[in-house]
Amino acid sequence: MWGVVPAKPPLPVMLNYIWSGLIIGSLLFALTVDTQELVENRFRNDTALPATLAFPDGYAPEGRRQPVQIRIDSATYAQMYGVDEAPDASYAGVLVQTQEGRQVEFPTDAELPEPLATIQEYHATDDNPALRGTLTAAPPTPANTARLQAALEFEPVRFRKLRNIAQAALNFAETAASLALSLIGILGLMLGLVKIGEEAGLIEALTGVVQPLLSPLFPNVPQDHPALANISLNLLANVFGLGNAATPLGIKAMEDLQELNPSDNTATDDMVMLLALNTSSVQLVPPSLLVAIMGLQINQLFFSIMLATLFSTIAGIVGTLVLHRLPYFRASAPHRTSAPEADDAEPPPT
Amino acid sequence: MIETIRSIVGVLSAFVLPALLVGFPLYGLIKGVRVYEVFVEGAKEGFDVAVTIIPYLIAILFAIGMFRASGAMDFLVNALDPVLGLIGVPAEVLPMGLVRPLTGSGSAGLVADMINQYGEDSLVVKMVATMFGSTETTFYVIAVYFGAVNIRDTRHAVPAGLFADFVGFLASVYVVQLLFG
Repeated sequence: MWGVVPAKPPLPVMLNYIWSGLIIGSLLFALTVDTQELVENRFRNDTALPATLAFPDGYAPEGRRQPVQIRIDSATYAQMYGVDEAPDASYAGVLVQTQEGRQVEFPTDAELPEPLATIQEYHATDDNPALRGTLTAAPPTPANTARLQAALEFEPVRFRKLRNIAQAALNFAETAASLALSLIGILGLMLGLVKIGEEAGLIEALTGVVQPLLSPLFPNVPQDHPALANISLNLLANVFGLGNAATPLGIKAMEDLQELNPSDNTATDDMVMLLALNTSSVQLVPPSLLVAIMGLQINQLFFSIMLATLFSTIAGIVGTLVLHRLPYFRASAPHRTSAPEADDAEPPPT
Repeated sequence: MIETIRSIVGVLSAFVLPALLVGFPLYGLIKGVRVYEVFVEGAKEGFDVAVTIIPYLIAILFAIGMFRASGAMDFLVNALDPVLGLIGVPAEVLPMGLVRPLTGSGSAGLVADMINQYGEDSLVVKMVATMFGSTETTFYVIAVYFGAVNIRDTRHAVPAGLFADFVGFLASVYVVQLLFG
């Protein structure tokens, strides 16, 4: 049911389609976006962005890392990338010189305009999250130069979304396991509490109150039949969040209803009503799993859940009663089609 | 009127968890239950439940995570928002409405995912959490209950269950908007 999942729940077929739809859908969507970006050359792969570098301390040809002010003309920027966003007037970056060449590092916390922000995100590593551009078109620079006209070439960005979905799949699989393990404590707390309620006979104590209310909803169950007691127990177990107890009780109630069923394999109106009440039942104790996930927030949600279940229960009852009366379902009702056999099991309604 | 209800809910909500935490043991004590031992026995299951749901969480979270990362989720939300907006339903809660009747653990994972995305306090998270708490995994209940007694023709059980789910879905959205909006 809600919290306690048996080893192998029979999964509905539709879930297979939704699930594969999500996975295949993400691949197709990612491929579409990636192809579009490649066709548009959104990131201007292999094209250098003109920039002016200013050296506050003067250029040092031997310095491995030295401070540099990166200035990008916003008109040039807008023209090159075809965007409205504009870069800041200047960025306080670092010029890194190695044997492989000269690279400019943007500050890690810079508010970069698109598509630079995406380029940064794509190439960011844990060690070096900064956006880096390789210096091209720069003339040989003498020492103590204050200003340098150059161009920055960024690493190309290709199949960005494809990489994103693969990364997301790995991240979320990891999250799933750690999330589940983080729930153990609160789940244990809640399951311990409701176990006390179960042992103390909380649901049995209330069946006397609930049974007369339920009786009119199950017209084919005789007044003194144990089915009604089991139905009440099952529904009350749901109300108090006793998921462990609810399923066996529900199955017991179903077996009782099957005894009253003139047909072997066709559901009766009463069975459908039991099901509708089960899926919509009023919740006084929120599901343990939800408490574990939401933590203290559950305090407020208690009220919204109670109200929402109140509406859905009313709708479930009314909807089921209406469906009972539809000619299509009426025709297949075991209690009408085989009324003669049913007579001894079912006294005339009072 | 609504303001009064909201403030009453605000005050009463402080008592919900304490009432549960104290209520069950107290009731057990009155009924002569060995509360400590029974609690421990019940709490043992916490580990089993957590471990049992791991495969379901992995299955649903990685698929949803991929869908989100591909940008398809945003695309869908933007496309559906104007339509669903007409009935006051934010498109973000739609995945929950689709998944809830099919898988209990999976939809729990969805709640957790949305907490990550939108924050614990956001309205959409309250809505999906309310949806999670207010309906059962309808198809699962149908499969287990009818399977136990060999009923093959379930007649209107699926429409009846889904109708209740649907009303619960809408009620969750509106109730949360009313109480916390």
